[in-house]
This record gives sequence, structure tokens and C-alpha cells, in this order.
Amino acid sequence: MRAFTRGDVDAVFAYRQRDDVAAYLFDEPMSRETCAEIVQVRTTQVGWQDEGDRLVLAVERRADHAMLGEVSLILRNQVARQGEIGYILHPQYQGAGFATEAVRALIGQGFGEGGLHRIFARCTARNSASYRLMERVGMRREAHFREHVLVRGVWDDELIYALLEDEWTTLANNQPA
Amino acid sequence: MNSKRDLPISTKRLTLRAFRKSDLDAMMAYHALPDVQRYLDWKARDRAEVQTALDAMIKQNRLTRPGDTFHLAVVKTSDDSLIGQISLRWTDATAGQAELRFIFNPAERKQGFATEAVKAAVDHGFEAFHFHRIFARCSGKNEPSARLLKGIGMRLEAHYREHALFQGEWDEELHFAILDREWKPSEVVREFPRKSGTQIARHLVA
Repeated sequence: MRAFTRGDVDAVFAYRQRDDVAAYLFDEPMSRETCAEIVQVRTTQVGWQDEGDRLVLAVERRADHAMLGEVSLILRNQVARQGEIGYILHPQYQGAGFATEAVRALIGQGFGEGGLHRIFARCTARNSASYRLMERVGMRREAHFREHVLVRGVWDDELIYALLEDEWTTLANNQPA
Repeated sequence: MNSKRDLPISTKRLTLRAFRKSDLDAMMAYHALPDVQRYLDWKARDRAEVQTALDAMIKQNRLTRPGDTFHLAVVKTSDDSLIGQISLRWTDATAGQAELRFIFNPAERKQGFATEAVKAAVDHGFEAFHFHRIFARCSGKNEPSARLLKGIGMRLEAHYREHALFQGEWDEELHFAILDREWKPSEVVREFPRKSGTQIARHLVA
């Protein structure tokens, strides 16, 4: 996991142009130009200072340096030390445990160096791959909002998962050595 | 959405009406209590602050655009005394969402008044305002509110743990919600009115 560089535009475009990726992000598929703009922004999103700041990292496979996707951690509430984690992986690389590995590492950083008290994540209830990941890393389902929003004419359900710092510590201590 | 014309709403023992200037004393009696204030994010402890809140609530009596709030004063019909307040805030026009809030005078507890009034307000939300979903939030420590919301059939959709600091302590927040089709469906879902043999109007939507 590393900071974004300008060379990542094609890799980002490869997944952000896809309908199946955009569908779960409530975005339109992105043009290459838009991807270039967001990559430009991401090269600067490498740490937090103020509420709302984002840390966005590119996820690279060590074996061949293939750029698989991205993970992010947003500082949502500075006083209550709340962070929101997010992740996007190219569908071609999904199902191999890469996202889980990256998310675990980022959660560890968020509670460690980041000093967070709680980390949460959300996804649409239709995105089972995403919420299964949250369950794998030990997050609890805290919310299931039913039909709380209408997206392009379709009712959507939203799930929120969360993990507290002490729960993460307990999980880490119970991991087989 | 102006449903002022539908007021007052009458239930078995209660009347739900718009707020009036003369409600200040009765509102003070419960609004400024520490036991009530601990669960509110609108601080109104003294007379001047409650007066400001009341003035705003008198004006907020219609839902014209998302973000607007509709306030109801809850009065005991037998002696015309104010025992609490309920509001519906229109949060999302596209998805027809509204947030329900309420405060009741602790002195009037355990007689089912709050449940009776909140049920009538939810009825009003679905029938007069045609909301798709009504939700309510409360602190995890506020057992009477949580029990009331569950009791009228709302579903616990969220339980946030230590998601924020509220008055210096870690806060737990509960979200309850119910959809229009889940709320007394026999009364809400109506057949399209049509006489046998007549044609359906060409335009159903104005």
C-alpha cells in the first residue's frame, strides 16, 4: 500500500470506467480525464490534519507491482476519533483476499498511528462481497437502513459496519501466532 | 405539503394541535428539566431559551421544502393541559423520508399518552404527508423512548456504539424506522376508486 502517483491513472481508469464498479459507489462510470483529476488529488491525500481529511492509498501486488485498487480512511470526527474506511478493487483481482489483507492493514494503522476510537464502513446491501469483507475483518453490523434513499428510481438499503479500538485489540490478541 | 387544515388531530384521550403563544408555561414545566434536557441536542433550559424555541415552533407548521419541520402540541382533551410535543422533519423529498421526534412531560408518564400521541403523529405522516419511511433516533440510554418506538412497531435499524461524544460521554445511538406499507397496511393501502364499467381516467398524475 503506497501513495498514489500520476502513473496510476490507467489502472484507476480500468476499474472506475466499469458499470459494475460504479453501481455500488452510486457514481457514474468515470472518463479517463476524470480519473486523471482524482489521481492528481489523491497524490496529496496522504495524511490527516483536519476533520474530513482523507488518506487514500493505492494497493499494489508485491509479486508483479500490479495496481489492484485503492483503500481509504477518512477522519470523520476529530474529537470522538471516528474514521470511515473504504475500498475499491478491480473486479479482476477480487476474491483472492487482497482487499481483506489491505483493509486489515489500514484498520491496524487507523487504530495505531491514527489513534482512532472507532472505524466504520458502509455499503449498499446489494454489495455482498463488500459486507462479507467487513464481517471477515471482525466488524459488527451496526445498521441496516431499509429503503432510506432512492437512487436512479430504485430503493436502496444501506449497511453500516463498525469496530471499536478495544474490539480490534481483542481480535488481534486472539489471532493464532 | 400543508396539512394544517387537518389539525387538530383527535385521539381517544388527546388532541394534537399547532403550538400557541400561551403554551410557554406548560412547555417550561417539562422542557427545562435536566431529565429531559440530557437527551436533547437543542438546549433550552431557561425561560428565554424556551420562549425562543416556542416562537420557532409556532412558525414551523408546514412542510414546504425538505428540511422543514412540522410541530404538534400534545394536549390532554379532558383538561386542555399541554403534556408534550411531537415533530416531523421532512429530510428527503425524493425518497419521502421524515424524522420523528418527541418530548413528553415526565410527570405524565406510564399512562400511555406518549404512545397514543406518537401513533397519531405517525398516522398523520403517512396519510397526510405520504411519507415512504419515518425514522426516529434516540440515545441507547433512553429506555422509555426506545420502548415506545419498538412498541408501536418500528424496527431497530441501527445501533451505533461510541460513535460520538455527547455532553462529555461516549454516546450510543439507536435508529428506529418503519415503511408506509408496514404501518397498518389495511388502512393505508386503498383500492383505486373505480366504478364498474367506467373507464380509468386517462391522466392519473396531474
